[in-house]
Amino acid sequence: MLQIDPIWMADNQQANFRLLLDAMARPGKCQPLEIKPENGPAALAILATLLDAEVSLADPDHLLDKDDWLMLQVKSSPAEQADYVICDGSHAPDFSPKLGTLPSPDESATIILVVNTIGEDLADENIHLELTGPGIADSTSLLVSGLNKQWLDKREDWTCAFPLGVDFILLDKKQMAALPRTTKVELI
Amino acid sequence: MINRTEWIRALSAHPAEKLLSMTTALSSDWTIRPKSIPQCGLGMLKLNDSAFEEPFYLGEFPLASAWVEIKTADGLVAEGAAQVMNDQIDVAEALALCDAVLSAQLPGWEKVTKLLDEGMQITKSTQLERKQMLASTQVNFSLLDDVSGNDAGDDDAAN
Repeated sequence: MLQIDPIWMADNQQANFRLLLDAMARPGKCQPLEIKPENGPAALAILATLLDAEVSLADPDHLLDKDDWLMLQVKSSPAEQADYVICDGSHAPDFSPKLGTLPSPDESATIILVVNTIGEDLADENIHLELTGPGIADSTSLLVSGLNKQWLDKREDWTCAFPLGVDFILLDKKQMAALPRTTKVELI
Repeated sequence: MINRTEWIRALSAHPAEKLLSMTTALSSDWTIRPKSIPQCGLGMLKLNDSAFEEPFYLGEFPLASAWVEIKTADGLVAEGAAQVMNDQIDVAEALALCDAVLSAQLPGWEKVTKLLDEGMQITKSTQLERKQMLASTQVNFSLLDDVSGNDAGDDDAAN
Protein backbone atom coordinates (compact mmCIF):
# COMPACT_ATOMS: atom_id res chain seq x y z
CA MET A 1 0.00 0.00 0.00
CA LEU A 2 2.60 2.50 1.15
CA GLN A 3 5.48 3.21 -1.24
CA ILE A 4 8.58 3.70 0.87
CA ASP A 5 11.97 4.50 -0.63
CA PRO A 6 14.26 1.47 -0.06
CA ILE A 7 16.72 3.56 1.98
CA TRP A 8 14.19 3.65 4.82
CA MET A 9 13.88 -0.13 5.04
CA ALA A 10 15.74 -1.72 7.96
CA ASP A 11 17.50 -4.43 5.93
CA ASN A 12 18.89 -1.89 3.46
CA GLN A 13 20.04 0.34 6.29
CA GLN A 14 21.82 -2.66 7.80
CA ALA A 15 23.59 -3.24 4.46
CA ASN A 16 24.67 0.40 4.34
CA PHE A 17 25.78 0.24 7.97
CA ARG A 18 27.98 -2.74 7.11
CA LEU A 19 29.54 -0.63 4.32
CA LEU A 20 30.15 2.21 6.75
CA LEU A 21 31.89 -0.16 9.17
CA ASP A 22 34.10 -1.43 6.35
CA ALA A 23 34.82 2.11 5.23
CA MET A 24 35.82 3.15 8.76
CA ALA A 25 37.97 0.02 9.20
CA ARG A 26 39.72 0.58 5.86
CA PRO A 27 40.24 4.35 5.60
CA GLY A 28 40.45 5.66 2.06
CA LYS A 29 38.93 2.54 0.49
CA CYS A 30 36.06 3.45 -1.83
CA GLN A 31 32.87 1.60 -0.95
CA PRO A 32 30.13 1.62 -3.60
CA LEU A 33 26.73 2.45 -2.12
CA GLU A 34 24.47 -0.58 -2.49
CA ILE A 35 21.23 1.24 -1.81
CA LYS A 36 20.69 4.75 -3.11
CA PRO A 37 17.60 6.94 -2.69
CA GLU A 38 15.09 7.07 -5.51
CA ASN A 39 14.77 10.83 -4.93
CA GLY A 40 17.14 13.17 -3.15
CA PRO A 41 20.89 13.22 -2.57
CA ALA A 42 22.92 9.99 -2.20
CA ALA A 43 23.97 11.20 1.24
CA LEU A 44 20.41 10.56 2.37
CA ALA A 45 21.11 6.81 2.30
CA ILE A 46 23.96 7.28 4.79
CA LEU A 47 22.00 9.71 6.94
CA ALA A 48 19.02 7.33 7.04
CA THR A 49 21.39 4.63 8.28
CA LEU A 50 23.07 6.70 10.98
CA LEU A 51 20.44 9.05 12.35
CA ASP A 52 17.43 8.79 14.58
CA ALA A 53 15.57 11.04 16.98
CA GLU A 54 18.28 10.67 19.65
CA VAL A 55 21.00 12.51 17.71
CA SER A 56 21.34 15.93 16.11
CA LEU A 57 22.21 17.04 12.60
CA ALA A 58 23.41 20.30 11.08
CA ASP A 59 23.01 21.11 7.42
CA PRO A 60 24.71 24.51 6.98
CA ASP A 61 24.73 24.22 3.16
CA HIS A 62 21.04 23.26 2.94
CA LEU A 63 21.63 20.00 1.10
CA LEU A 64 18.46 18.45 2.52
CA ASP A 65 14.89 19.54 1.92
CA LYS A 66 11.99 19.70 4.38
CA ASP A 67 10.68 16.24 3.48
CA ASP A 68 14.12 14.69 4.13
CA TRP A 69 14.16 16.21 7.62
CA LEU A 70 10.69 14.84 8.36
CA MET A 71 11.72 11.34 7.35
CA LEU A 72 15.01 11.47 9.26
CA GLN A 73 13.22 12.57 12.45
CA VAL A 74 16.52 13.97 13.66
CA LYS A 75 16.97 17.05 15.81
CA SER A 76 18.30 20.13 14.03
CA SER A 77 21.25 21.75 15.71
CA PRO A 78 23.92 24.39 15.00
CA ALA A 79 27.02 22.90 13.36
CA GLU A 80 29.11 23.63 16.48
CA GLN A 81 26.88 21.40 18.64
CA ALA A 82 25.66 18.77 16.18
CA ASP A 83 26.48 15.07 16.39
CA TYR A 84 26.45 14.89 12.58
CA VAL A 85 27.16 17.66 10.09
CA ILE A 86 26.51 17.35 6.38
CA CYS A 87 28.38 19.82 4.21
CA ASP A 88 29.14 20.61 0.61
CA GLY A 89 32.83 19.68 0.36
CA SER A 90 33.52 22.41 -2.18
CA HIS A 91 32.74 25.12 0.40
CA ALA A 92 35.36 26.01 3.00
CA PRO A 93 34.38 25.12 6.58
CA ASP A 94 33.21 28.06 8.68
CA PHE A 95 32.48 26.33 11.97
CA SER A 96 34.22 24.33 14.69
CA PRO A 97 32.58 20.96 15.28
CA LYS A 98 32.32 19.06 18.57
CA LEU A 99 35.60 17.25 19.26
CA GLY A 100 34.40 15.23 22.26
CA THR A 101 35.92 15.22 25.72
CA LEU A 102 38.68 13.08 27.20
CA PRO A 103 36.22 10.95 29.25
CA SER A 104 33.86 10.77 26.22
CA PRO A 105 35.73 11.23 22.95
CA ASP A 106 32.75 9.60 21.21
CA GLU A 107 30.72 12.76 21.88
CA SER A 108 32.29 14.34 18.84
CA ALA A 109 30.93 15.15 15.42
CA THR A 110 30.88 12.99 12.33
CA ILE A 111 31.21 15.17 9.25
CA ILE A 112 29.67 13.97 6.01
CA LEU A 113 31.26 15.77 3.07
CA VAL A 114 29.48 15.65 -0.26
CA VAL A 115 32.08 15.88 -3.04
CA ASN A 116 31.97 15.54 -6.83
CA THR A 117 33.84 12.26 -7.17
CA ILE A 118 35.91 9.88 -5.09
CA GLY A 119 38.49 7.50 -6.52
CA GLU A 120 38.14 8.72 -10.10
CA ASP A 121 40.98 10.28 -12.01
CA LEU A 122 39.72 13.64 -13.25
CA ALA A 123 43.19 15.11 -13.86
CA ASP A 124 43.18 18.80 -12.89
CA GLU A 125 40.16 18.70 -10.63
CA ASN A 126 41.59 16.08 -8.31
CA ILE A 127 43.08 16.34 -4.89
CA HIS A 128 45.48 13.48 -4.30
CA LEU A 129 45.54 12.33 -0.68
CA GLU A 130 48.14 10.02 0.82
CA LEU A 131 46.74 8.18 3.84
CA THR A 132 48.53 6.31 6.63
CA GLY A 133 47.41 4.98 9.99
CA PRO A 134 45.39 2.14 11.52
CA GLY A 135 43.56 0.02 8.94
CA ILE A 136 46.02 0.90 6.17
CA ALA A 137 48.91 -1.33 5.20
CA ASP A 138 51.84 1.10 4.70
CA SER A 139 49.95 3.82 2.86
CA THR A 140 47.11 4.28 0.42
CA SER A 141 46.08 7.05 -1.90
CA LEU A 142 42.68 8.58 -2.50
CA LEU A 143 41.63 10.83 -5.36
CA VAL A 144 38.91 13.34 -4.55
CA SER A 145 37.39 16.09 -6.67
CA GLY A 146 35.16 18.85 -5.35
CA LEU A 147 36.86 19.07 -1.96
CA ASN A 148 38.01 22.44 -0.66
CA LYS A 149 41.58 22.04 0.69
CA GLN A 150 40.69 24.03 3.81
CA TRP A 151 38.80 20.96 5.07
CA LEU A 152 42.12 19.12 5.28
CA ASP A 153 43.84 21.99 7.11
CA LYS A 154 40.98 22.24 9.59
CA ARG A 155 40.87 18.47 10.01
CA GLU A 156 44.51 18.50 11.05
CA ASP A 157 43.72 21.01 13.79
CA TRP A 158 40.63 19.13 14.91
CA THR A 159 42.34 15.72 15.13
CA CYS A 160 45.70 16.80 16.61
CA ALA A 161 44.73 15.93 20.20
CA PHE A 162 43.75 12.27 19.86
CA PRO A 163 41.44 10.74 21.09
CA LEU A 164 39.58 14.00 20.56
CA GLY A 165 38.68 14.79 16.98
CA VAL A 166 36.18 14.29 14.19
CA ASP A 167 35.53 11.53 11.68
CA PHE A 168 34.98 12.33 8.01
CA ILE A 169 32.80 10.44 5.56
CA LEU A 170 33.39 11.50 1.96
CA LEU A 171 30.56 10.81 -0.39
CA ASP A 172 29.81 11.26 -4.07
CA LYS A 173 26.78 10.06 -6.01
CA LYS A 174 27.92 6.45 -6.16
CA GLN A 175 30.37 5.67 -3.39
CA MET A 176 31.88 6.71 -0.10
CA ALA A 177 35.17 6.62 1.75
CA ALA A 178 35.93 7.32 5.39
CA LEU A 179 38.69 9.30 7.06
CA PRO A 180 38.50 8.44 10.76
CA ARG A 181 40.34 10.65 13.24
CA THR A 182 43.20 8.12 13.48
CA THR A 183 44.14 8.51 9.80
CA LYS A 184 46.98 10.81 8.86
CA VAL A 185 46.31 12.66 5.63
CA GLU A 186 48.92 14.26 3.41
CA LEU A 187 48.17 16.31 0.38
CA ILE A 188 50.31 15.31 -2.59
CA MET B 1 -19.82 16.40 9.84
CA ILE B 2 -17.99 15.10 12.89
CA ASN B 3 -15.06 17.19 14.11
CA ARG B 4 -11.71 16.08 12.65
CA THR B 5 -10.22 15.55 16.12
CA GLU B 6 -12.82 12.78 16.63
CA TRP B 7 -12.22 10.97 13.31
CA ILE B 8 -9.45 8.61 14.37
CA ARG B 9 -11.22 7.66 17.62
CA ALA B 10 -14.46 6.95 15.79
CA LEU B 11 -12.82 4.95 12.99
CA SER B 12 -10.73 2.99 15.50
CA ALA B 13 -13.97 1.55 16.90
CA HIS B 14 -14.18 -0.72 13.84
CA PRO B 15 -12.25 -3.98 13.55
CA ALA B 16 -8.85 -3.55 11.87
CA GLU B 17 -9.77 -5.94 9.04
CA LYS B 18 -12.75 -3.80 8.06
CA LEU B 19 -10.62 -0.65 7.87
CA LEU B 20 -7.83 -2.39 5.98
CA SER B 21 -10.12 -3.95 3.38
CA MET B 22 -11.84 -0.62 2.74
CA THR B 23 -8.63 1.41 2.41
CA THR B 24 -7.05 -1.24 0.18
CA ALA B 25 -10.03 -1.05 -2.16
CA LEU B 26 -10.04 2.76 -2.14
CA SER B 27 -6.35 3.21 -2.79
CA SER B 28 -5.71 0.61 -5.50
CA ASP B 29 -4.60 3.19 -8.10
CA TRP B 30 -3.26 5.86 -5.77
CA THR B 31 0.35 6.76 -5.04
CA ILE B 32 0.84 6.82 -1.29
CA ARG B 33 4.10 8.06 0.17
CA PRO B 34 5.03 8.49 3.81
CA LYS B 35 5.77 12.01 5.04
CA SER B 36 7.44 10.51 8.10
CA ILE B 37 8.41 6.92 8.80
CA PRO B 38 5.40 4.90 10.02
CA GLN B 39 6.29 3.52 13.41
CA CYS B 40 4.94 1.44 16.24
CA GLY B 41 6.31 1.03 19.72
CA LEU B 42 5.55 1.79 23.33
CA GLY B 43 4.50 5.13 24.72
CA MET B 44 5.32 6.03 28.32
CA LEU B 45 2.79 7.90 30.44
CA LYS B 46 4.64 10.26 32.77
CA LEU B 47 2.88 11.75 35.80
CA ASN B 48 3.90 13.65 38.93
CA ASP B 49 3.19 12.03 42.28
CA SER B 50 1.00 14.12 44.57
CA ALA B 51 3.23 13.88 47.67
CA PHE B 52 6.65 14.98 46.43
CA GLU B 53 5.70 16.17 42.95
CA GLU B 54 8.32 13.86 41.51
CA PRO B 55 7.79 12.42 38.04
CA PHE B 56 7.13 8.72 37.61
CA TYR B 57 6.01 6.51 34.75
CA LEU B 58 2.49 5.21 35.28
CA GLY B 59 2.88 2.60 32.59
CA GLU B 60 3.39 1.80 28.94
CA PHE B 61 0.92 1.62 26.11
CA PRO B 62 1.22 0.51 22.48
CA LEU B 63 1.47 3.39 20.04
CA ALA B 64 1.48 3.46 16.26
CA SER B 65 1.76 6.53 14.05
CA ALA B 66 1.62 7.30 10.34
CA TRP B 67 1.64 10.44 8.19
CA VAL B 68 1.01 9.93 4.51
CA GLU B 69 0.62 11.90 1.31
CA ILE B 70 -1.81 10.61 -1.30
CA LYS B 71 -1.77 11.37 -5.00
CA THR B 72 -4.82 10.05 -6.82
CA ALA B 73 -4.93 8.98 -10.45
CA ASP B 74 -6.65 12.32 -11.20
CA GLY B 75 -3.76 14.24 -9.68
CA LEU B 76 -5.47 15.23 -6.43
CA VAL B 77 -3.08 15.47 -3.51
CA ALA B 78 -3.98 15.17 0.17
CA GLU B 79 -2.25 14.50 3.46
CA GLY B 80 -3.48 12.58 6.45
CA ALA B 81 -2.06 11.37 9.74
CA ALA B 82 -2.98 9.13 12.64
CA GLN B 83 -1.58 8.29 16.05
CA VAL B 84 -3.34 5.42 17.76
CA MET B 85 -2.98 3.15 20.76
CA ASN B 86 -2.33 0.08 18.67
CA ASP B 87 0.64 -2.12 17.87
CA GLN B 88 -0.11 -2.50 14.14
CA ILE B 89 1.51 -0.04 11.75
CA ASP B 90 -0.86 -0.95 8.93
CA VAL B 91 -3.84 0.11 11.06
CA ALA B 92 -2.22 3.51 11.66
CA GLU B 93 -1.55 3.77 7.91
CA ALA B 94 -5.16 2.89 7.08
CA LEU B 95 -6.43 5.49 9.57
CA ALA B 96 -4.06 8.12 8.17
CA LEU B 97 -5.39 7.32 4.71
CA CYS B 98 -8.99 7.71 5.93
CA ASP B 99 -8.00 11.04 7.51
CA ALA B 100 -6.63 12.24 4.15
CA VAL B 101 -9.68 10.98 2.22
CA LEU B 102 -12.09 12.75 4.55
CA SER B 103 -10.13 16.00 4.80
CA ALA B 104 -9.78 16.43 1.02
CA GLN B 105 -13.00 14.59 0.12
CA LEU B 106 -11.11 12.29 -2.23
CA PRO B 107 -13.04 9.73 -4.29
CA GLY B 108 -14.73 7.27 -1.93
CA TRP B 109 -15.08 9.76 0.94
CA GLU B 110 -18.77 8.88 1.27
CA LYS B 111 -17.86 5.31 2.24
CA VAL B 112 -15.42 6.59 4.86
CA THR B 113 -18.00 9.04 6.19
CA LYS B 114 -20.49 6.16 6.59
CA LEU B 115 -17.83 4.23 8.49
CA LEU B 116 -17.12 7.32 10.56
CA ASP B 117 -20.78 7.72 11.56
CA GLU B 118 -21.06 4.04 12.46
CA GLY B 119 -17.83 4.29 14.47
CA MET B 120 -19.15 7.30 16.34
CA GLN B 121 -22.30 5.36 17.27
CA ILE B 122 -20.19 2.45 18.53
CA THR B 123 -17.99 4.84 20.53
CA LYS B 124 -21.02 6.55 22.08
CA SER B 125 -22.67 3.29 23.07
CA THR B 126 -19.39 2.03 24.56
CA GLN B 127 -19.04 5.26 26.52
CA LEU B 128 -22.62 4.95 27.77
CA GLU B 129 -22.02 1.35 28.81
CA ARG B 130 -18.89 2.38 30.71
CA LYS B 131 -20.72 5.24 32.43
CA GLN B 132 -23.44 2.85 33.57
CA MET B 133 -20.86 0.42 34.91
CA LEU B 134 -19.11 3.25 36.73
CA ALA B 135 -22.39 4.52 38.15
CA SER B 136 -23.23 1.05 39.50
CA THR B 137 -19.98 1.01 41.49
CA GLN B 138 -20.59 4.37 43.15
CA VAL B 139 -20.83 4.32 46.94
CA ASN B 140 -22.99 6.76 48.86
CA PHE B 141 -20.74 7.71 51.75
CA SER B 142 -23.41 9.91 53.36
CA LEU B 143 -25.02 6.70 54.72
CA LEU B 144 -21.86 5.98 56.75
CA ASP B 145 -22.84 8.72 59.26
CA ASP B 146 -26.03 6.81 60.14
CA VAL B 147 -24.14 3.55 60.46
CA SER B 148 -21.46 5.04 62.73
CA GLY B 149 -24.27 6.63 64.82
CA ASN B 150 -25.91 3.22 65.26
CA ASP B 151 -22.58 1.66 66.24
CA ALA B 152 -22.20 4.31 68.95
CA GLY B 153 -25.73 3.59 70.17
CA ASP B 154 -25.00 -0.14 70.28
CA ASP B 155 -21.85 0.52 72.33
CA ASP B 156 -23.80 2.61 74.80
CA ALA B 157 -26.39 -0.10 75.12
CA ALA B 158 -23.73 -2.72 75.82
CA ASN B 159 -22.29 -0.59 78.59
